[in-house]
Amino acid sequence: MRAAAADRVQAASTTYLICAVAWFVPGAGHLWLGRRQKGIVFLLALSLMFAFGLWLEGRLFPFEVTQPLVVLAAIADLGLGLPYVVAKALGVGAGRVVAITYEYGNTFVIVAGLLNMLVVLDVFDIAKGRK
Amino acid sequence: MTTHVGLMLIFSLFVSVVFAVLTRDEPREQVTFGARLFGGFVGAGILIGWLLYPLPL
Repeated sequence: MRAAAADRVQAASTTYLICAVAWFVPGAGHLWLGRRQKGIVFLLALSLMFAFGLWLEGRLFPFEVTQPLVVLAAIADLGLGLPYVVAKALGVGAGRVVAITYEYGNTFVIVAGLLNMLVVLDVFDIAKGRK
Repeated sequence: MTTHVGLMLIFSLFVSVVFAVLTRDEPREQVTFGARLFGGFVGAGILIGWLLYPLPL
């Protein structure tokens, strides 16, 4: 499964660039490192999970420093990169508190962001030659 | 599909797929581990649901 590009240890600057790309586009880091199957699965699964959360009327939380838990949720939301930016730009993710699926939607969106953070850490390890 | 159980199944599926692909390299191992994770999530969800059923006492 390991491609030649992934087996090489990347330079430090390249490693951080790959991690940034991996954060911005879910799965792109693995695709860059030649792990195509993993990259495609992450791209599809995380984007779908995020979209599903928004469809369930989940909310993209704002960075309100007066509410620490809301800030934590916002950081988790931001973990998905491009889908988050696109959703914000399109004005979706306002959330509807009275919707019966509101909390479920939040859970899907937040967990999608957190999982992408794990994916970025995996990309870092691969780029460093640890995996 | 938007029942609690339905959403739990979909959530478990997504998380299992990502974790399996993240932690295993071979496709066969990914499928096996993913299926075990999915079963664990669903089983634990149902078990905890029944344990909480009598609450509040």
